[in-house]
Amino acid sequence: MTGLLILLRKELRGFFLSPFGWILLTLVTVMQGWSVSSAMKHLQDTPATESLVFHVFHTGYFWFYFLAIFPLITMRLFAEEERTGTLETLLTAPVQTWQLVLGKYSATLCFYLLLLVPSFIQFHLFGLLTDSSSIFTAGSLLGAFFLLFLMGALFIAVGCLASALTSSQIVAGVITVGLLFIHYFLGFVTVIYGDRFPAAQLFHHINSSEHLKYFSRGLIDSSAVLYYLAAASFFLFLAHHALNHRRWRS
Amino acid sequence: MIKVDNLTKRFGRHSAVSGATFAVEQGEVVGFLGPNGAGKTTTIRMLTGFLPPSSGSASIDGLDVNRHSLEARRQIGYLPESVPLYRDMRVREYLRFRGQLKGLSGNALRARMDEVIERCGLREVRRKMIRTLSKGFRQRVGLADALIHDPPLLILDEPTNGLDPNQIRAIRHLIKQLGQSHTILLSTHILSEVEMICDKIVIIDEGKVLASDTPANLVATMRTAGRISLELKVDPENARKKIADLDNVKKVTHERTRDGWEEFSVLVESGTDTRERIATLVREERWPLRSLYRHAETLEDVFVELTRKD
Repeated sequence: MTGLLILLRKELRGFFLSPFGWILLTLVTVMQGWSVSSAMKHLQDTPATESLVFHVFHTGYFWFYFLAIFPLITMRLFAEEERTGTLETLLTAPVQTWQLVLGKYSATLCFYLLLLVPSFIQFHLFGLLTDSSSIFTAGSLLGAFFLLFLMGALFIAVGCLASALTSSQIVAGVITVGLLFIHYFLGFVTVIYGDRFPAAQLFHHINSSEHLKYFSRGLIDSSAVLYYLAAASFFLFLAHHALNHRRWRS
Repeated sequence: MIKVDNLTKRFGRHSAVSGATFAVEQGEVVGFLGPNGAGKTTTIRMLTGFLPPSSGSASIDGLDVNRHSLEARRQIGYLPESVPLYRDMRVREYLRFRGQLKGLSGNALRARMDEVIERCGLREVRRKMIRTLSKGFRQRVGLADALIHDPPLLILDEPTNGLDPNQIRAIRHLIKQLGQSHTILLSTHILSEVEMICDKIVIIDEGKVLASDTPANLVATMRTAGRISLELKVDPENARKKIADLDNVKKVTHERTRDGWEEFSVLVESGTDTRERIATLVREERWPLRSLYRHAETLEDVFVELTRKD
């Protein structure tokens, strides 16, 4: 357990010791601010039944930058250790592979949660500055952020797997982007082909933008919670095995 | 300390190590010799738990490297060949991280850090970024990492690779010092290094252990052909034929020296000494003789004889 915490701390520090972490934090803050302001414009122009939170997460910008976060924060994780050979020093120290995987995964998840803090503040700023606190409810805000956490948990696990598969950061990043986009667009299968085929329910089940719709209304769907956590565990399991397998055949 | 029994590692159809067997006793400094690509690094990676063996077993201090991997790893201080380090960390920070990872904390960690920094001569660079350090200093940081948890066994994979002569001397000196209190397995292909530092040698090639003994014993029991040199003032062709007709002589070559003598080089079969018979021949033929001696065999001869491909 201590090995895991040491690795987690080292990895998390790594995000802030290079300019990379700060640049990403800035970018996400700016993009999120952009989403909020365009949602506000939308509310200004047309009467709306949904809350500000709902509109922010349904602007075109949101998915665009949101899916780009994950390759950026995960591609380095194992690929870089593999490339520089430091993986050998890590795995010949008294540390188990799962400690390494979970340590790096949880550090990245922590960093990701920190990336969300500015946008959380932005929502509260809105209330403070405009005195119109009824524009969204606490439930919809918490629901939306809970789903962001869940999606992060899964998407970072996907990134971990991609990074464990290769020693090139670029390749790892491309694999992550690819997988995340496929996952995102699988949700639209029912939009294109309708609901009239037996497997339609499955596509609804993994449709992230549909989840976001419910969660940002404050509706916590336990099957979605289960889906993200189970899929995240599965991808971490695969990452662990990919890392061990590399060692076994190298 | 190290017991390797029939250790084999296959990558697909290629065997990097096949049936290696050797042992290293407590307190020994053992040179692990072999040409490039002989399987040294693969063997070491199996010993340190980075690669699992395809078959056979290896144990460190009685702990099987596969079944008790973590306990076995705690006994080892390992310096990989390429000395991988985190470039964006400072020296002290890196050593603290490695120390923690190997189970040290608090005052014990601080004490060990101060000791290895002192011992490896890292004092003036301890606050520097690793990426700004020279190769020699990086090697020392790697060595300090290997030593941080005070392991009884050090495994060093080509520790002087790529250093300048002064740095090589410094690292060798350090290894010699460490050898007084640690068991060391030192992989290298530099023979003079081994002659200077090691009590024992394991020679490996194409994945097989070819010899495992002290340097003196290896040279003494060598099967290699001996070489005798003599200088005569004679008609070279006639003398060459007569010497070649002696028993146990494999090959005779000659060369004229600058001052008009003929220098003969006589290759004789292993384990025989033909000097006496040559001397008798020279006396009978009344050839003027200036020198006659047998070349002492070196570790290099042993190494070349064991590992050459022709």
